[in-house]
Amino acid sequence: MSNAIKFTGVQKSFGPTEVIRGVDLAIEQGEIHAIIGPNGAGKSTLFNLVTGRHRVSGGRIALNGEDITNYTPYQINRKGLARSFQVTNIFGNMNVYENVRCAALWNLGYGYAFWHFVNRRRDLKERTDMVLEQTGLTSRRNVPAGLLSYSDQRALEIAVTIAGNASVVMLDEPTSGMSSGETEQAVALIRDISTTRTMVIVEHDMGVVFDLADRISVLVYGKIIATGTPQEIRADAKVQEAYLGTEAS
Amino acid sequence: MIMANLTKPTLANLTKPGVAAGIVAILIILPLLTNSGFAITVMSQIGVATVFALAFNMLLGQGGMLSFGHAVYFGLAGYVTAHVMNGMANEDLPYMPVTLIPIVGGIAGLFFGILIGFVSTRRAGTAFAMISLGFAELVTALTLIIVVFFNGEEGIQTDRWIREEMFGITYGSDIQVYYLIAVWCVIAGIAMYILTRTPFGRISNAVRDNPERVQFIGYNTHRVRWLAFSLSSFFAGIAGALHAVNVEHVGFETVGLGQSGVILIMVYIGGTGNFAGPILGAILVTLLNSYLSDLTPAWYLYLGLIFVLMVMFAPGGLAGLIMMHDPIRRMRPRLLLAMLPAYAVASAVTLVALAGAIGLIEMIYFLSTTTTRESAMILYGIALDAADFWPWLICIALTVGGAFGCALTYPRMAEAYNSALHEARISVAS
Repeated sequence: MSNAIKFTGVQKSFGPTEVIRGVDLAIEQGEIHAIIGPNGAGKSTLFNLVTGRHRVSGGRIALNGEDITNYTPYQINRKGLARSFQVTNIFGNMNVYENVRCAALWNLGYGYAFWHFVNRRRDLKERTDMVLEQTGLTSRRNVPAGLLSYSDQRALEIAVTIAGNASVVMLDEPTSGMSSGETEQAVALIRDISTTRTMVIVEHDMGVVFDLADRISVLVYGKIIATGTPQEIRADAKVQEAYLGTEAS
Repeated sequence: MIMANLTKPTLANLTKPGVAAGIVAILIILPLLTNSGFAITVMSQIGVATVFALAFNMLLGQGGMLSFGHAVYFGLAGYVTAHVMNGMANEDLPYMPVTLIPIVGGIAGLFFGILIGFVSTRRAGTAFAMISLGFAELVTALTLIIVVFFNGEEGIQTDRWIREEMFGITYGSDIQVYYLIAVWCVIAGIAMYILTRTPFGRISNAVRDNPERVQFIGYNTHRVRWLAFSLSSFFAGIAGALHAVNVEHVGFETVGLGQSGVILIMVYIGGTGNFAGPILGAILVTLLNSYLSDLTPAWYLYLGLIFVLMVMFAPGGLAGLIMMHDPIRRMRPRLLLAMLPAYAVASAVTLVALAGAIGLIEMIYFLSTTTTRESAMILYGIALDAADFWPWLICIALTVGGAFGCALTYPRMAEAYNSALHEARISVAS
């Protein structure tokens, strides 16, 4: 079986600044893969390249064996890759239920249809209810998204991301700004949704990363310096030197 | 759950069977209550404006696209309709009943909407607005260049009486035209309402709210905007055809910036955030246009002032002002009564201030536009001399006094509203 995502020599420059300097990385089907690295290492840029938000300057990216280099975000999404955003990026004027329902429309084949009533489609309702249940938002379903508490907004961000049933889900700092109690809930949620999906997460909270991830890649100045299981990463001398800040002994 | 009830937008009341039947009954009875041909013409104009305003709000309110040139699709459809009717009268074209001619207008609007929309909807926001402005200028220029189709400044004359249709309808009388417009207005209104409830309608809202995220849930935002634009142009085309049938003339001004501006003002005054808003705006602005323009030459100034005040103080428009009372109405209708005194006092001082300000404006207008150095005029039915000192003093006193009154009473009105809203929420929570 092909890799969920495969980076081959991916490069990205903004003007003269080279942010991603040749990344080769294979993310396996079904794993939770965390990408860590110091600020400015290019983690978010890497996300933006895979999901089509930015165009690559060089190299190839493949999704489930199919080349998606420089596809538009919606083309990539239709091929089964969904992402969340570091800064909550939802539909503020709609309520929670409508947010999630919108995100399920394309995957359920509704496209641009103007000959169906949205609230009469059972499959839409079932999918939306299921995602709300899974993300713990059922009781907030009628609240306008803009009025949600911060942690509920983060949960909605994930709900919108998974509602389209993508096989590969990328989460950009899903627990940023959360209290430890909220983080615990978020980790449980991520673990729950990962049972049927490949997950790629960027995360600053090392507790979360080492707790959740099957494998970890360390990105430093636009290059992957190590990839491996949490144990391997913890023991890796290069990582300790470059990232974890402890002297290699 | 409480929150849900408070924030759910509802002028969806329009879809309740009782309300809908009531509206239809009013539409049927209204023209029978008057003998005035002018009143019926005004009602017909309101119908045309309503369809156009709802179509425009598909773009602005539902899709988040501010167009300065939507009259292009209204006007071009009007021209096509006039040509088709003339062609049918000359037997150059196969006959179809005039009753169905709005379909021709709709298809014409759709055609131009698909064509021009493909280009203009590639961009959103300011760029879209500028492109729409450009196309409006372009088409206005074309009306003077392509004489065969537009006939320059004269425009196209047409005659809606082609032959007798079913039930002996000839559209010879204005009331028959009114009913034609009313029927099409209801059909188009229902269709546009239904569109808001479809996957397309919801995704159109999503593109308005957050175009970036829409791309990451699988949608091509250009496609969504293009489709919204085309469908909106379809309904604008229906309105254009009804206009052509109503006035039996289509001129270059129907495609121009003036017409585009009026529809924008209508929709904004009525309220973009609510389906019924544009209907309110179409009714109000058409009424002002018809009746105020007889009373005062300064009516455009007043319309402009209303527009500016709405944008500044009530960006939700009339519908927004009404709907902000909806939670109170539904939770504790009696609280609305308790708010009445504060509202009445504020309205009274507002009227005083307006009376003074309007008096001043009218006197200035009169003096600056009169050709014969005449200064005797009639204001509010009172004969006075605008060269005198007293009328000015009284009007200034009313304006200043009223403005002071507003400054005093408006905070009380806001307080009455806020406490009623608060109480309504508590009563539900407990």
